[in-house]
Amino acid sequence: MTGVDDSELAARASGGDPEAFGELVDRYAPMARRVAYAVLEDQEDADDAAQEGFLSAWQALGRYDPKRAFRPWLMQIVVNAARDLRRRRRVRAAEPLDNVAAAARDDPAREVGEIHLGEQLRKALATLPERQRLAVVLFDAEGYPQAEIARMLGIPEGTVKSDVFHGRRALRKVLGSVKEEWND
Amino acid sequence: MTDQGNDLKRDIELGTALSAALEMPHHGAFVTRMKALARRAARPRTWDEVLAGWFWQGVLTTSVVLAVVLIGLNSSDRDATPLAGEESVAVQLIDAQRPGADVILASMTGAR
Repeated sequence: MTGVDDSELAARASGGDPEAFGELVDRYAPMARRVAYAVLEDQEDADDAAQEGFLSAWQALGRYDPKRAFRPWLMQIVVNAARDLRRRRRVRAAEPLDNVAAAARDDPAREVGEIHLGEQLRKALATLPERQRLAVVLFDAEGYPQAEIARMLGIPEGTVKSDVFHGRRALRKVLGSVKEEWND
Repeated sequence: MTDQGNDLKRDIELGTALSAALEMPHHGAFVTRMKALARRAARPRTWDEVLAGWFWQGVLTTSVVLAVVLIGLNSSDRDATPLAGEESVAVQLIDAQRPGADVILASMTGAR
């Protein structure tokens, strides 16, 4: 099913084909989980939100307009699921991703510096307001156009631009200082 | 640190670093779990699953009905119980120990 495009898979999934839905999950789970993590800053919560998002999307597939791109439609649902979950679990202490992810990778070839950069970037992300985090992650990491992000988050495009600008400033500082450490 | 002056253009270097930083482990397990959930949601439910689905609604309804019945029984018992210690006027009048009862009794009988 790898050659089948998203709208075809969505149409099949909408007709009750769980395999087609599974293929969509396989394609977009990494992105959905990253975006959910950007909102929730907790790995378990991010997985719960991504799961809720996918299931909500499946239930809503009957209302999906195939003329629209599937990916942003799905991400909008995941972002909403993550925000809902955050409202419900505001009191729960966040479990940092760094140790879990680093341990789970269990890849001796991975550069120590890369893990360090990841830690620093996550720390820097955590200092940003949620909307800025989402804007930078959706724009720079996931490659969505700013107009699309504005539609997803329900905010003006100018606000997305400003959020990306401010978010990047903090993150680029971290990226720059880690690169300097590498060069030393 | 590319495209610093152009905020409409994606910063590939930062984006790649961010994407790696937010990478979540156990992709396969997540997808398998989601597929299992989708398969379960897609197939029709068996009779025991339908019954199980009604279990908590049944417990709740029974509790509400029981509570209403108990409250009803309690309030009807209270209405049926005679008020303790309340005496009729006649008993009060013939009670010789009660001060003033003889005066009232005399005035009532003397009027005839």
